[in-house]
Amino acid sequence: MDNTVMINRDVNIIAYYFRGKDKPNCFPKRMDIDGRQITFTETGLLHPTQKGKRMVHVFDMTDGKADYRLEFDAEVLSWKLVAVSDAQNAFAN
Amino acid sequence: MHLPISNEEPQIMHIDLNSCFATVEQQARPMLRGKPVGVTNRISKYCCIIAASYEAKALGVKVGMRLDEALELAPNLIMTETDPPKYHYVYKKLLNILSSYSDNVVMKSIDEGVIDFHGTRENINKRELSEIGYEIKARLINDVGSWMRCNVGIGPNRFLAKVAAGLHKPDGLDIIDHNNLIATYKSMRLTDLHGIAERNEARLNSVGIMTPMDFLNAPSELLRRQVFKSVCGDDWYQRLRGYEVDQHSSGITRMVGRQYVLDIRRPSDDEVRTRLSYLCETTGMKLRYRGLCARGIMVYVKYANGDSWYERKMFKSTFFTNAEVYRRATLLFNKRPRHAFEREIGVSCYMLTPSNMSQISLLEDVNKDIWLTQAVDQVNNQYGEFTITSATSAKSKNIVKQKIPFGSTQYFELLLKSS
Repeated sequence: MDNTVMINRDVNIIAYYFRGKDKPNCFPKRMDIDGRQITFTETGLLHPTQKGKRMVHVFDMTDGKADYRLEFDAEVLSWKLVAVSDAQNAFAN
Repeated sequence: MHLPISNEEPQIMHIDLNSCFATVEQQARPMLRGKPVGVTNRISKYCCIIAASYEAKALGVKVGMRLDEALELAPNLIMTETDPPKYHYVYKKLLNILSSYSDNVVMKSIDEGVIDFHGTRENINKRELSEIGYEIKARLINDVGSWMRCNVGIGPNRFLAKVAAGLHKPDGLDIIDHNNLIATYKSMRLTDLHGIAERNEARLNSVGIMTPMDFLNAPSELLRRQVFKSVCGDDWYQRLRGYEVDQHSSGITRMVGRQYVLDIRRPSDDEVRTRLSYLCETTGMKLRYRGLCARGIMVYVKYANGDSWYERKMFKSTFFTNAEVYRRATLLFNKRPRHAFEREIGVSCYMLTPSNMSQISLLEDVNKDIWLTQAVDQVNNQYGEFTITSATSAKSKNIVKQKIPFGSTQYFELLLKSS
């Protein structure tokens, strides 16, 4: 069964931004949460979605141990960790 | 009618993302890759699998199977809930890719599209269609992600292109033309043909047609008079030989509605009504999204003991507001028998005509209803669907989930707003 845990918390992200015509121009590299640092290795899917008139970019990321769903609000420029799958691996030492 | 096998050059390309939702989930969540994954609308004990990954299919899991049945076959099955924005993103990407080769592109559903290259080969410098097919596969991987795979089928008509797309799943590219048509039919069963399932197979078997080759060799008269008992027989005669008979589109909406299998085994009257109210609200939204109003409404109930009931009524006046849909549905719903617990409920509006929402009425009350609906729709468009919702359906907002439209993408934008 799916073991996704909803988090819904604002997080600090260090992201790379780069120029590109058709490719994604942002790669969230590192996330700080509760004093832990999680380094992402791959983007699963990057897709925009609308919340009312607001545009939110959804990043499905992985660090090789767990999958993370991040949302970047393009209006207020904030990052939110929405959910973690395989959370037992994500926060294991 | 007697026709030879069409020797036209194959110019129809069918592109199919098989196991689309499951593949997209695996693309989005790399930890799911290589594992059996099932996708459902809302996870519950008796939910139905609407897409299964190839790993799950290899273990015997099929689309339409209930979760408890699937878990017996694949105890490690990972079930996820649908996420419409992801599928919409992939759909848009696929549409963009296909549209770059020809303006004659029809998306048959969320996960499959057809390109008709008739008259547009000049635009692609008369390149080989197989070369285009491989390019589409590569672009899908480049634009969406490395886990995405699609089947490409090329044929002289839509039917044979679809058949070709199903020959080598999950990442095949096949061409069917007059040279290999018979060899292809010889390697198939009747039910491998798109459009031939159990019932049609039984019809064909009853006149001695047991294989696709028998089907191909059957005279049109037999198919029309004895098997299909309509012009469908002639259509099949031509379709099997590579002639185009499926190039039609129906843009007419005859019915708009919603149905819902209740999430509670023994629901109280209040619980059923709040879900009915929610269904009426989404039906009203669909009507307005399509710019329609309705005169007729139908409500049906299926009971836990297997019984079912429905009632329909035509009204003199048209309606399109959420409150009116709910009021008229409640009129019928109150007449239902109450001898058992409800299992499934549904609302449908019919006799649809273009909306008269912009017409100012002589009756002040009617105008007030329209203005209120327009104001609520504006707020919901600005801040997200169900920001303002009726009190009767508020409880169901987080319970009833919008369905993913499989066959049609006409409500996709609306679905995204409410997801």
